[in-house]
Amino acid sequence: MDYIVYEPDRYLKLGIRIWPKMFKELVQSRELIWRLFIRNWSARYKQAALGYLWALIMPFVAIGTFMFLNKAGILNIASTGIPYPLFALIGLAVWQLFSTGIISGCNSIVSAGGMISKINFPLEALVFSSVAQSIFEFLIKFGLIIVFFFVFKFVPSWGIIFFPLALIPVLILTLGLSLILSLVNGVLRDTVNIVSLLTTFLMFLTPVLYPISAGKSVFFKLNPLSPLITAPRDLIVYGHIKEPIDFFIVSVLSFLLFFVSWRVFYLAKTKIPERL
Amino acid sequence: MPETVIKVENADKKFSKSLKHMMLYGMQDITRNVLGMEAATGRLREGEFKAVDNISFELKRGETLGIIGPNGSGKTTLLKMLNGIFMPDKGKIKIRGRVGALIQIGAGFHPMLTGRENIYVNGAILGMGRKEIDRKFDSIVDFADIGDFLDAPVKHYSSGMYVRLGFAVAVHCQPDILLIDEILAVGDREFNIKCYQKMHQIRKSGVSIVLVSHNEYVIREQTLNCLYLKDGRARFLGPSEEGISLYIKEGLQERSDRDTAGRGLAAGEGLKEKAELLPVKFFDKDFNEISFIESGGELNIMLECIIREKIKNPIFGVNFYADSGFMYCANSDYENVDFKDLPPGKVRVRINIPRFHIPADNYLCSAIVAEGDVNNLLDWHNMVYRFVVGRAKNARGSVKLPTKWEAEV
Repeated sequence: MDYIVYEPDRYLKLGIRIWPKMFKELVQSRELIWRLFIRNWSARYKQAALGYLWALIMPFVAIGTFMFLNKAGILNIASTGIPYPLFALIGLAVWQLFSTGIISGCNSIVSAGGMISKINFPLEALVFSSVAQSIFEFLIKFGLIIVFFFVFKFVPSWGIIFFPLALIPVLILTLGLSLILSLVNGVLRDTVNIVSLLTTFLMFLTPVLYPISAGKSVFFKLNPLSPLITAPRDLIVYGHIKEPIDFFIVSVLSFLLFFVSWRVFYLAKTKIPERL
Repeated sequence: MPETVIKVENADKKFSKSLKHMMLYGMQDITRNVLGMEAATGRLREGEFKAVDNISFELKRGETLGIIGPNGSGKTTLLKMLNGIFMPDKGKIKIRGRVGALIQIGAGFHPMLTGRENIYVNGAILGMGRKEIDRKFDSIVDFADIGDFLDAPVKHYSSGMYVRLGFAVAVHCQPDILLIDEILAVGDREFNIKCYQKMHQIRKSGVSIVLVSHNEYVIREQTLNCLYLKDGRARFLGPSEEGISLYIKEGLQERSDRDTAGRGLAAGEGLKEKAELLPVKFFDKDFNEISFIESGGELNIMLECIIREKIKNPIFGVNFYADSGFMYCANSDYENVDFKDLPPGKVRVRINIPRFHIPADNYLCSAIVAEGDVNNLLDWHNMVYRFVVGRAKNARGSVKLPTKWEAEV
């Protein structure tokens, strides 16, 4: 059996060979990721009266509010092509995959607390499993979307087959940002609060609850999250992505960000237990 | 020739003293690494200190190493470095084999989950796959001995059950190297016995153990060699018996220095006027001066006293104090030894204890001279003298007593 060597700048010394190592470690920790996810998930909902239904409450409240505001004439939401609640729900589901993903991902290292400085286990597993939480919440909302299909007698276009694929970029972006943010949050503890505020604010700058044509503002167009939200929705509604080039560019950028973040995380993770 | 499983070469570990420095250097080091540069870990920056300083040692398969030292000497930090939690800032640590650690019991336990569920969580964190846990599940539950509570949320467990469950899982990891950090101070006696038995079993099967403990008896029993750390540096590396003696001696020295400064002269008023005690001396049976004796040996204590004014009904006494409390006193009043009235001059009192059967320990001794009543002190040396009592030869416990055996058939 070979030695494992612990020395300063250990991961740096590996150079390019670090990538296969990273992948291997990730695959090896898949069970741990699953276990941590189950642990947080069941713990969260065990004593709650409404249990898993809490995942649905926020969307209902948000959609309900906007519908009311629209009806009351306070907000004027342009036509969306499909019944508004459905439109909003799909947008919200995808958005929250991102927003709750990065918030819980950002906080994942810090909330593990004492465990990190006492036991040796792969820290990425914490980040990945907290993003897994938001994936599951998304699935619950997707269940509701299916219900809405029936309620509004809406037949989704055949493009829905590609819907899961179209979600990959936003997921990758979430993971990438979570990895970086979890590091920053370890050192500057209010990062998670800032992220929380920013995502709330950012949601209104993204065509989540309204279509992209709704805003004359250039923000909608320039916001990199816009294509990631609208593309999956377009697939369901129209059967094709309306702005494929934008979507492609942002997807590539997301993947790049993810790989860079992952790498940085690996280099930094040896320093985390000491600094926490 | 058993192979080496741990090789530590000149390992260092730095920490920052202040939060500000911690954050600053943390970001600095991470940024440097990201940009492909080495973090400046060699030298000590401002606000940093070395928790572990130039430590080297080797551990072979099946061996057990004890790590002893005062609090804050770097023992736990070193253990965490062996566990791969902290990376050395200088030097190398080479590990061969799977490492298991009993540093934190019940890592990952969530109070809302049941014992059963937590076994899987804890096991996964410790690196065991689901199939492995399934295989060992019954054995784990058996060892933990928590009965029907297996399917109850862990928050309803007593602290003893909690520890037992955590330990049961950790012990079933079947590591090649086991790191233990004084957690065995947590369980009850029965559990501790179970743990030591298991450790013994594990050792037989070729597992190497690194054990951090304050308890010198445990170190003596369980380890062959020990590393004595002081302020992060290796004060001694070698046979446990020697290391422990050194640790005791140095520990006692420091303690008595502190005490002398603080307490020894507290009762100063009115003393030394009528009589003054000179330093007390201890001797063995041949009247060689000693500061160490084997339990059961012959001890002679000499008290010399300058008498300035006549003393009526003088009383002399020497007290022995261990960490556990007041152990023994030789006191002329309690033992109904009468001294004649003493005129001014000098008096030498010899106390002879033919068989000093007190438990092996590190003692601090006081001496008094009083008049008529023990409360009427004329002079008092309070816990000034260090005296070590060692285990009697061939004794298993702390004391060896003359024993008669008889059998009837």
